[in-house]
Amino acid sequence: MAEVVHQQAGRGRLRAMFGYEERSAIVFLAPVMAVLMGVAVFPILYSFYLSFFRMKLTRPNRTPFVWFDNYTDLFTNELFWVSVTRTVVFAVTSVTSIAVVALLVALLLNQNFRGRRILSTIILIPWAIPYVANALMWKWIYDSGYGALNGVLYQLDFIDKYMVWLGDQDKTIFLIANAFVWKEVPLAAILLLVSLKSIPSDLYQAARVDGATVWQRFFHVTLPAMKPGFMLVMIYETMMAIRHFDLFFILTEGGPGDASHVLSWHIYVETFRNLSFGSGAAMSYVLALVTFALSYTFIRTLGRKV
Amino acid sequence: MARLIKPQIGRREFLKSSAAAGAMALAGPARFAGAQAANPVTLHTWSAAVDTVQSHLNAFTKSTGIPVNYGNSPWAQYREGMVTKFVGGAPLDMMWVSDAWLPEWAEAGWIAPIDEYDFLTAYNSEAEDFCTDSMTYNGRQYGLTYYTDFMAFLYDESKIKEAGFDAPPATWDEVVEQSLVMKEKGIAEFPMMLAMAQESWLIEFMSSLVYSHGGRFTDDAGKAIMQHDKDGAVEALQWVVDAVNKHGIVSPACVETGELSGLKAFASGNHAFAMVAKYRLRMLNDPAQSQIAGNVKQAMMPKGANGDHNTVGWMRFHGMSAQTAKDKQQAENTAKLIEWFGGKSDGAYTFQKLLFLDIGAGFGVKPLFDDPEIQASYNSYGDVEMIKAQQALAMKKDVVTPWFGEWSETNGSAWQSAILGNTDVKSAVTKSAELWDELKDSY
Repeated sequence: MAEVVHQQAGRGRLRAMFGYEERSAIVFLAPVMAVLMGVAVFPILYSFYLSFFRMKLTRPNRTPFVWFDNYTDLFTNELFWVSVTRTVVFAVTSVTSIAVVALLVALLLNQNFRGRRILSTIILIPWAIPYVANALMWKWIYDSGYGALNGVLYQLDFIDKYMVWLGDQDKTIFLIANAFVWKEVPLAAILLLVSLKSIPSDLYQAARVDGATVWQRFFHVTLPAMKPGFMLVMIYETMMAIRHFDLFFILTEGGPGDASHVLSWHIYVETFRNLSFGSGAAMSYVLALVTFALSYTFIRTLGRKV
Repeated sequence: MARLIKPQIGRREFLKSSAAAGAMALAGPARFAGAQAANPVTLHTWSAAVDTVQSHLNAFTKSTGIPVNYGNSPWAQYREGMVTKFVGGAPLDMMWVSDAWLPEWAEAGWIAPIDEYDFLTAYNSEAEDFCTDSMTYNGRQYGLTYYTDFMAFLYDESKIKEAGFDAPPATWDEVVEQSLVMKEKGIAEFPMMLAMAQESWLIEFMSSLVYSHGGRFTDDAGKAIMQHDKDGAVEALQWVVDAVNKHGIVSPACVETGELSGLKAFASGNHAFAMVAKYRLRMLNDPAQSQIAGNVKQAMMPKGANGDHNTVGWMRFHGMSAQTAKDKQQAENTAKLIEWFGGKSDGAYTFQKLLFLDIGAGFGVKPLFDDPEIQASYNSYGDVEMIKAQQALAMKKDVVTPWFGEWSETNGSAWQSAILGNTDVKSAVTKSAELWDELKDSY
């Protein structure tokens, strides 16, 4: 009897805390929350937990708790710093190129000319191609024996013999960046185009009345008004570039030597080839932290002035 | 009036009862089926010769009454998939194992030795020594041979003749000499094909070069000697570096050339010499697949100044899981299946012969070399005596250890860096040796 009274009191407290709508919301959201907990939150927390263990799948009986050793070991790992350098070079090259090319494409598509809609559709094609298909396509293009790049350059007399492309370590990272840019430009261009379309025509008319030249209108009206679009592009593409894996996997497998050994490749090798889940998880958290810090920096620097 | 008594069953009790009833319903038929027939043996392989495997399995079940659950997955994901199965405790009795994974899987306690079964080890007397060695770890044998092969030195006979030579090169110096003549005469820009891309084949290419130069990566105690000038890997890597950078007889693109693309380039007639797996010989002399069909011959692996015609051999074998070894009846049934595939079935090495005739896969049991059908098949695209002689000089990979995977990445990068001229040969090999010893100590 006392238990029944206690249960009723408990229900009463719940009713007092949450109204009917809140209780309904909890009931309806509970299944989704449970699924999210199972497939997203739990794996994230569990992988963080694993990052404190020297856990290697092939040594199932030896998984000591090592505190932060997996994190501190990274900073003395020469190859880790090589991968950081390669990642920075790749990200800076790609994001800069994407921003510039996408801006030019957006400016072009913002003009009224015949065939604009068809051109817009064609430009979207690279974006619609899956990453793996894109990587395989570029692997064929860059092949030193039968690649299209060599074929075209040879036919046009730019080279007198077939060149080694991906095998030349000085070119490797930039060639991969080129393939990445080709794939990413369409989306970035669309995002920038949206920004362009949102600029009120009054601003341009006022600038013309004030005698501003085309360049002055571009630098003083267009570019400042596109900052939100640029911020979005920079954040998104930087995140994509830092985490990018497919092209490195298919084109070079981190080689030749360590010429394309970027962070994502380093994590892949550590986790799925060496099956070291502890240190792999630690690296993944470092990568996530770096990505978060960069995004935050972009928002603070670009976003503040928007 | 009788009082109706409402049974007081809570939700938990209801769920428990339902679950128990469900479990009984599911277990019932299985239990009765078990009483009627043996438990099935679960076999997992990579996706090769699937139809041949399946038909041989059907024959096994028909002969013994033991059913087999057969599954397969692509080679590229096989190791990772199997590790996940082992860790997750998935049902698994027999599987194909690569010699490269044996120490790792044995140390982890995932696979069990099979040398307690005398009827299996009896086949060792007819197997190549390197095959038995490759299936042995810490003195215990873990399987019976599924397929074996070795790295072969192949040449395009028409190009040799065109260059004015009567015989293929017997030493690595002669490879350089003949290649330079071919370059000069415009027969091939890069006469020698080497595939040195970072992929799973890389260690086989490296090992062949090292062994034929008289070197080793490690000594018998497993300590790194690759950094030694004479009996290590220095001489072999120096030959590759010179071939690329000094003589220009190997393309600098070798660092991005994988086994398959190298094979295609050789089959297209771009090269005069190639190091490829011996079983590729059949494809290279098939007019439907190769532009140099009929001209591809095998020579003994050229030797270095301190070496012999040694090459590397590799093994894939049928193994038994450790969980199965604990169940006596299941282990015996699995051992029978291992014998059916790796040993004799119906008095002959049926599966190895089928596999050879189907996809040209090599075998590790010597008596098959005397089989007239196999001799005829080999001689239709190669020279069975040459194959037999080279296989007899094949050696197991001396780097197969639990830390092989971790070392292999760094070693591959070090060799590539030397080939690209980023570092000198000695430094590259020393770096690789240091990592080896470091990993050895940590294990």
